Amino acid sequence: MANRVELSGWVTALGLDRQNKGTLGRLVTLGGLGHAEVGADGRLHARVRIPPDELIWEPSVIVMPYGGDLELELVNDDQNTHCALLPSNGDLQWIWLPVYSRGTATLNLDGPGYYWYGSNIGNDEGRGLLGMIAVLGDVPQEARLDRPPQPRP
Amino acid sequence: MEYVQAGHAVNLGTLSGVKGSAPPVAQNVTYERILKARAEPQNWLTYYGAYDGQRYSPLDQINTENVKRLTPAWVFQRGPIGLHAGQSTYSFEAAPIVVDGVMYVSGWDGWVWTIDARTGEELWAYHHEIPFDTSLCCGNVNRGVAVANGKVFVVTLNAHVLALDAVTGKPVWDKTYGDVRAGESATLAPLVVKNLVIVGSSGGEFGVRGHLDAFDLDTGRRAWRTYTVPKPGEPGSDTWPKDGQAWARGGANCWVTGTYDPELNLLYWGTGNPSPDFDGSVREGDNLYTDSVVAVDPDNGQIRWHYQYTPHDLWDYDSVMEHILFDLDGRKLLAHFDKNGYFFVLDRTNGQLVRVTPFGERITWGEISADGKVTPKVYPEKEGEPVHVWPGPAGAKEWTHAAYSPKTQMFYVPVQDVGAEITLRRREFKESIPYWGASVNVDTKDVQGFVKAFDAATGQERWRYRDDRPISASVLATGGDLVFVGEATGEFDAFNAQTGELLWQFQTGSGHHSSPTTYSIDGRQYIAVPTGWGAWVEGFAPDMFGAPRGDALFVFALPE
Repeated sequence: MANRVELSGWVTALGLDRQNKGTLGRLVTLGGLGHAEVGADGRLHARVRIPPDELIWEPSVIVMPYGGDLELELVNDDQNTHCALLPSNGDLQWIWLPVYSRGTATLNLDGPGYYWYGSNIGNDEGRGLLGMIAVLGDVPQEARLDRPPQPRP
Repeated sequence: MEYVQAGHAVNLGTLSGVKGSAPPVAQNVTYERILKARAEPQNWLTYYGAYDGQRYSPLDQINTENVKRLTPAWVFQRGPIGLHAGQSTYSFEAAPIVVDGVMYVSGWDGWVWTIDARTGEELWAYHHEIPFDTSLCCGNVNRGVAVANGKVFVVTLNAHVLALDAVTGKPVWDKTYGDVRAGESATLAPLVVKNLVIVGSSGGEFGVRGHLDAFDLDTGRRAWRTYTVPKPGEPGSDTWPKDGQAWARGGANCWVTGTYDPELNLLYWGTGNPSPDFDGSVREGDNLYTDSVVAVDPDNGQIRWHYQYTPHDLWDYDSVMEHILFDLDGRKLLAHFDKNGYFFVLDRTNGQLVRVTPFGERITWGEISADGKVTPKVYPEKEGEPVHVWPGPAGAKEWTHAAYSPKTQMFYVPVQDVGAEITLRRREFKESIPYWGASVNVDTKDVQGFVKAFDAATGQERWRYRDDRPISASVLATGGDLVFVGEATGEFDAFNAQTGELLWQFQTGSGHHSSPTTYSIDGRQYIAVPTGWGAWVEGFAPDMFGAPRGDALFVFALPE
């Protein structure tokens, strides 16, 4: 039976944070975390990029402080073509990302909770091109249960 | 190096054959039309086909003589794309609504589609994003939509209720009515009554407090909320412990659509199990209004009367399934086939018991006498000590619906005969964490299922069809003296409604856990059935846990 150990050191030691070293691909969500920030237009903005030969989204976790619209910039710095299938209320959003390309997407997400996105061609997702958008916050007060505050885990 | 401009992301649907708009037929769907839904049998206007919940259509083109020639007219499929919540539990459970040749149907994971009901062409699609980490006790499912006033109403797994433009699929309004941080979700088909759309919440396995909510059709303004567990001091609160917060975590979720009697102006809504499901020690008392029918005034949400089927439930015997309204000898009655294995007939004017008889095959948890007295016999009582009961937590009948034919005056009931071992395992309540109070192991051997027909006047069984697997799908009865139901192994069956003879069968390739409906266009009758095995199979048919999944909507008709 495997012992529970701290993840970060072992991920590097075993090569799980690199392509075709420990496993074939790279474990997802190891490309760092970025915060969406309010822009001059009052909307949330974030940027992700695909670095060369890493097959990851960087950052691989985008944090929205609350639900709503997100203006996302996507940059493909890789020498291969990818794409992005992105969550959004109404319909999934999709963009083709040629080699050395830059594109944008507008997403609407309720939250709280988290959502996956990825490059849904070949097995880009399995190799590591899966990213996460985490939406913080709470549902509106009027939607909550009329009861005293309850213990949480 | 200059970047190539990749442009702006597009709606995925623009890269498909979807047309993008539907004919404006829903504009003319009014409350008055829904009231008289059975007068337009070419349509299936509301969840049960009509407010009475009978799931009966007078359409008779397809009948006992010609049903053997029934053949697929078209098939609609979607399939999952990307990662979604409950990836292994998604299931196609809806009851398709049809208005003047346009079908409105919801799927798993926030999908709503309109489809040309004659050809199967996709007209528009809407997708609501469901957080991957949403608490789902029983799978990534949705049971259908409501249509009225030019809008399509649907709930989402993250507990929103949406009004979509019926022509374009674009949102008109969007209201949150549950707290996903508390473990609430939503899966039922909304019910439109007067100027309101009425919805209930899911989450009884997470220790929430159940409620019904009503919203204005046009604005989305909330008209009322009624909790199905009373606060201290409210009527029924004496059925909960005086001290502590058992009431605040009490369950009683209204996670399946109710029925409605416009003359009495009463909704009949079933409520779910108490929380924790199996540990009664933290909630001494009858635990109103869990496992009950509540008769609710739609104008203000007030509970006029109630009848509790399983007081102080210790077996997870929700009573959310349909309450079928029917009249007999001048009496206004309702029929209910409960998870606990008993068939109840109540006077729907006041909730008085008229008759109770067993319909389940094996019932060992307890007994209900003819006058309604409930005597528990086998239940989890001692920590760590297993007990075995029939029926298991999925019940002798799950949420999937019975049908009533006014023509044959018989009820047609999908029956599961699956037991379970329950071992009391007490635990502390923590918000959003499953709150069962037991370890549960549902039988995978010595299981079976039935379609059973019962005489409405006497309650006596008239015929039965036995299957080696539980029957876990809704029944449809038609004026062609036919009864349609799907099996866990993928077969879609048609029976002679009078005799139970199996007349026709089609293998759809995936198990049935949905509600078939029927409609006609230019005189041609169609039968529509979503297929796609999934949801909490571990609860209702664990012997089929490895069965093929799927996501196809089959529509059948006689050859032209």
